Amino acid sequence: MRKLKLGGYIPGTSLIHQLDPRTKLLGGLAVIIAILVNDSWPVLLLNTLLIFAVIYLAKINMKSVLQGVKWLLILSILTLVFQCLFTKGDPLFNLGPVVVSKQGIYRGGTFFLRLLILYLSSSALTMTTSPMKMAGGLEALFAPLRYLGVPVNQFAMLLSISLRFVPTLIEEAETITRAQKSRGAPFTSPKKIVRLKTSLSVLIPLIVGSLQRATDLATAMESRCYTGGPNYSRVKNLHFGRKDQLALGIIVVICILPLVYFPGRI
Amino acid sequence: MSIIEICDLTYSYNPHTSFEKKALDNISFTIEKGEFLGIVGTNGSGKSTLIQHFNGLLWPESGNIFVLGRNTRDKNYRDQLWKKVGLVFQFPEQQLFEATVFDELAYGLRNMGLNKQEIDTRVNEALENVGLDPEQLRTSSPFCLSGGMMRRVAVASILAMKQEILVLDEPTAGLDPEGSAHILQTIKKYQQENKVTVVLVSHCINELILLADRLVVLDNGKVGAWGSTRDVLAQDDLQHYDRLFPDYIRILFDLKKHGWKINTGMLTVEEAANELGRVLKGGG
Amino acid sequence: MSFKGIQLLDVTKEYPGNQDIKTCALKKVNLTIKPGEFVGIVGKNASGKTTLARLLNGLLLPSQGRVMINGMDTRDRRMRMEIRRRVAMVFQNPENQIVSPVVEEEIAFGPENLNLPHHEISRRVEEGLKLMGLREFRHYAPHLLSGGQKQRVAIASALAMQPDYLVLDEPTSMLDQSCRRELIEHLHILNKQQGITIVLISHCMEDLAGADRLVVLQQGSLFADAPPWEIFRQDDKIVGLKPPDIVRMVELLQKMGFNLDNKITTRAEMVDQLCRLSKSVI
Repeated sequence: MRKLKLGGYIPGTSLIHQLDPRTKLLGGLAVIIAILVNDSWPVLLLNTLLIFAVIYLAKINMKSVLQGVKWLLILSILTLVFQCLFTKGDPLFNLGPVVVSKQGIYRGGTFFLRLLILYLSSSALTMTTSPMKMAGGLEALFAPLRYLGVPVNQFAMLLSISLRFVPTLIEEAETITRAQKSRGAPFTSPKKIVRLKTSLSVLIPLIVGSLQRATDLATAMESRCYTGGPNYSRVKNLHFGRKDQLALGIIVVICILPLVYFPGRI
Repeated sequence: MSIIEICDLTYSYNPHTSFEKKALDNISFTIEKGEFLGIVGTNGSGKSTLIQHFNGLLWPESGNIFVLGRNTRDKNYRDQLWKKVGLVFQFPEQQLFEATVFDELAYGLRNMGLNKQEIDTRVNEALENVGLDPEQLRTSSPFCLSGGMMRRVAVASILAMKQEILVLDEPTAGLDPEGSAHILQTIKKYQQENKVTVVLVSHCINELILLADRLVVLDNGKVGAWGSTRDVLAQDDLQHYDRLFPDYIRILFDLKKHGWKINTGMLTVEEAANELGRVLKGGG
Repeated sequence: MSFKGIQLLDVTKEYPGNQDIKTCALKKVNLTIKPGEFVGIVGKNASGKTTLARLLNGLLLPSQGRVMINGMDTRDRRMRMEIRRRVAMVFQNPENQIVSPVVEEEIAFGPENLNLPHHEISRRVEEGLKLMGLREFRHYAPHLLSGGQKQRVAIASALAMQPDYLVLDEPTSMLDQSCRRELIEHLHILNKQQGITIVLISHCMEDLAGADRLVVLQQGSLFADAPPWEIFRQDDKIVGLKPPDIVRMVELLQKMGFNLDNKITTRAEMVDQLCRLSKSVI
């Protein structure tokens, strides 16, 4: 029921779902870097089109994606207004005593578009890549760092376990809050210090529970022969095929090349 | 006037979204002052959702619930209801957080605004009620205790508040038979000494059979059966819930299906055996 | 000459306690479990049940004596992986055993740690999902499952190691009545159809009524080792455990003069015998 929380994974068989997670991670990164480094209209437009194309190919329901955009819209409109009203430049028209400039509208517009692309590209990534595949992709990409002594495999395991337990912890926090409310815990007290102590009544049990959980989990993992070593299978199961090569090629053309041709203002 | 009156109560999670789930569907029944009511049902039957309506944590989507004579739709009333209705959640030891056992039990009492002396008296009393030694444990950390003792401390922290109505959600979950029996004895004794109304939720009818005056069987958010324990067990159409019943009752139901003229309203193994004996001697 | 089975040879386990006083969790326990058996281990709290379970796959090592799995000593570090592959464990808390964010990846966790080829891992995942009736939940996140379903995932994950022995440490104590009965049924099916040896630790006598053998632990020592119906007949004051209601009923009816078999432990058996009795009485 809470499968769609936080742009979470939706199982599917679309083209995008089938891509190697490394392709998607690199692609997402390329898009994000491109729009952060360069805010010229051609670059922004190309990347917006790319993202919408990806979402279409991934057969994701646009409604569920745009549900999260509502707050984004509010934020962006506020910024748009702010930028329009307070950016000095070539005046376009007057709104009472305030002068709205060309640069203001441009700034506001690009800010909104960048936020949108940022949100959509990360959603597209998380919605089409299962958490485990994502962890596998990250593990594979960062694998060379192992030679520098970085514990890549353990970090990947950490990521996976976090993904597993965050919803559980949220549920537990809710239950503990209700239990403390039933003892009159003053969650809505006007005094800050009282509210702080009340939040401890939820945090401490959560932490204590997590420590016990860590012990139990470690025992369970040991029993299934986990040794903390590299998870070869998870990484070996990633296949970088023709589709991935094509996808990366497209990304280079759409994201990277324009950066050369259209120098933008950061 | 019943101490709790529930009229056509309906409650859904995530209403008007694609994740809407009806937890309670037109529930109606009453709880009398001083009675020991058992609520039975499988997971997902809505038991936990229902009891959260008793202390004001939740309020109905449609329908009404009157606790101690007043409708809980009044937010101000709901916010104060915890002082009159105590709720022990499942696995209550997962809520412990204070540095000492004393502070843990005093937490609710301090929130109630009681003075130091009264708090002291009540903490000692509550610890003795659950079979723990106040002198020994007052300054101990609740986290240093065994699982069973932590459970008792958590239950004591609610008993200390001496509310008129005590609601417990599966207080014996995860305990071994000895620990279960002890907690249930504690609750029964507390009820008799303080003349409070107790509502005990369980998935295990065995516990409630000898303790509860009346039973409510919840099935998929609806009331399947309601009445005195014996009457509920003797009903014909309860066979749908038979997985909630202990084996010695299920045997009687099985025989009923085979055509035996047998009374299934038996509370104990002895009674069931006697009934079987009677039928075998008199012919079934 | 490879002996198949679990053997505990004169096993003692001590823990260092406060002020140098050692707590003895197990005292000179001798026990053999043969392949294909369904063995129940029962005892009150602090009887040593959990310690015994953890000795079986090398999570704990005996202070004295030896624990042998198919002839391999658990103290031998080189054999540890192999032993853990052969003796799979399922623990009490359904929530704290599941490591992965998706059910089918959880089942794959064990085989992945064994570095098996991709197609073999897939095959075992499919089999695990089928055996425990989890196909519709394969893409679910664990927090969306009920306690009983989580335990089934834990069992499926254990089975994916293709163990010879499945040890379950109080797997039903946090589940409700109907989930508990379902789980025990599943275990019997695994035992009969797949030939997996089951070692079930529980304080609920009803769970163990269908076992081949019941091992009773009392304060760290082996108190009894016999078929369930024999153990249930013993004076429960000695053992401190209540026999299942059915057994009590049979006893009471026998005292009334009815001829019922001592070996009845399940509902079906009881109903069957009672129907026959009623016909003979008439």
